[in-house]
Amino acid sequence: MENIKDKAAIVGVGYTVQGKVPGRSSMSFHLEAARNAIADAGLKIEDVDGLLMQPPMAAMGDPMVAPAYLSQQLGIRVRFMAAHDDWGASAGCLAQHAAWAVVHGMANYVVCTYGENALSGAGEYGNALNGGIEYGMFGAVAGYALAARRGMHEFGTGPETWKEIAIAQRRWANLNPNARYYQQPMTVEDYYNSRMIVDPFRRADICLVSDGGRAFIVTTAERARDLRHRSVFIMGMGQDHPSTNVPQATHLAGPSGAVVSGATAFKIAGITTDDIDACEIYDCFTYTVELTLMGYGFFGPGEGKDFLKAERLAPGGDFPVNTSGGQLSEAYFQGFTPLAEAIMQLRGDAGERQLGPVTNTREPEIIIVSGNGGVLQTHSTLILRR
Amino acid sequence: MVYEKPLPVINEDNAPYWEYCRSHELRMQKCTDCGYVRFPVSIVCPKCNSMAAEWTPLSGKGRVYSYVVYHMAYHPSYKGDIPYIVAIIQLDEGPRMESNITDCKTEDVRIDMPVEVYFDDVTEDISLPKFRPAA
Repeated sequence: MENIKDKAAIVGVGYTVQGKVPGRSSMSFHLEAARNAIADAGLKIEDVDGLLMQPPMAAMGDPMVAPAYLSQQLGIRVRFMAAHDDWGASAGCLAQHAAWAVVHGMANYVVCTYGENALSGAGEYGNALNGGIEYGMFGAVAGYALAARRGMHEFGTGPETWKEIAIAQRRWANLNPNARYYQQPMTVEDYYNSRMIVDPFRRADICLVSDGGRAFIVTTAERARDLRHRSVFIMGMGQDHPSTNVPQATHLAGPSGAVVSGATAFKIAGITTDDIDACEIYDCFTYTVELTLMGYGFFGPGEGKDFLKAERLAPGGDFPVNTSGGQLSEAYFQGFTPLAEAIMQLRGDAGERQLGPVTNTREPEIIIVSGNGGVLQTHSTLILRR
Repeated sequence: MVYEKPLPVINEDNAPYWEYCRSHELRMQKCTDCGYVRFPVSIVCPKCNSMAAEWTPLSGKGRVYSYVVYHMAYHPSYKGDIPYIVAIIQLDEGPRMESNITDCKTEDVRIDMPVEVYFDDVTEDISLPKFRPAA
């Protein structure tokens, strides 16, 4: 395989209003995110000649979000386009495919978008994800809670470990004005008092549901140097999609898709876990963070209990994880949340929560980003550097 | 009494499975080329991609692979059921399936606990395979 290392870069990030934003279509969030990403990169609309997007779950009555409708409304004519639904792994997969496209001249600037009125719209996040509704298995929470229970059995972790993840991420969110839980701390008591939803998961283990969107722009490393922000280079990338139906899956308690996806990304980047300054990990549930970090090789089975301590993961710690507050405490955008945060941190645009002297943490050179979808059925990895 | 809980979505592919359930038989597709017993229902074997299969009877015996306890009713029809157990059952013949474990206190369910199938005739057409602690 031709080495893709450092050949492509992410040059713009688009945020939208986010949180509870009633009265908006999913399409409108895609558009707002995309135009903000184009503006953030300092590009003219006509520069953008590629478009990749992750469709929202179809909500009744909501305008259909298809790539051609997006390019139509953005007023761009693209020569590279696709809709991609790898669920929560999509953000990373889109970035990878955009990277290959720009490196091979299929497009110069690819805008990658996501948006959804997930909180206020008519979509059904509580529906069964992999079947089982006849047994009262509703929502993604069922599959992940089953995975997490098995993880407790195999790795000796559980709520006492997951609370460390939830509390650390909340401490990051406390520094992020965009976050749902800005300035709202979580104590150990708050975690344990959080309502039990599907045992072993409490509310505090489960991600937010948010209205809003995110977008980013991928171009070649050379073109990136001429643009206004500090370039964020795609150093390594990987995917692995176990796909297996939940009951049959052996990846519920590892080895998850993170193992092969991460190893591929580390190999391309030519680095090891020791070179990583921070982790932006797809966190639909606290357990997903544990399983992903283990899959990437930061610790082994049975070691999570000792490794995952809030003081290490939180501001001031030596192993920062999910520095925006993540999808547990900032906002949930299907994996665009961790990816956008990695870019902001590497650019030095993260404000009060900026890694480095501001938060008494290591200056970030290299950040690993994960995406994960279905019930641990899809996985993508990006290693980004500045 | 009208059964108000969501029912399985039956299609051309999975209809035989639910027909067997209706007659209180747990059967799954066994690949007649490689012998793999697969679930959920599919037209191809995920081990060898053969389309040749027969509906093989299963003992209905197995062990709990993992379980959760719902404390929230995601659908109004489940309000009276919480807390209820949803589990993955490792069947003796190899495949695993999701189902409910009943006749067991939520605090008593354990991973590796032996369970056995029974059929809950929830409507005239649908019987759900559920599990309880093995006698």
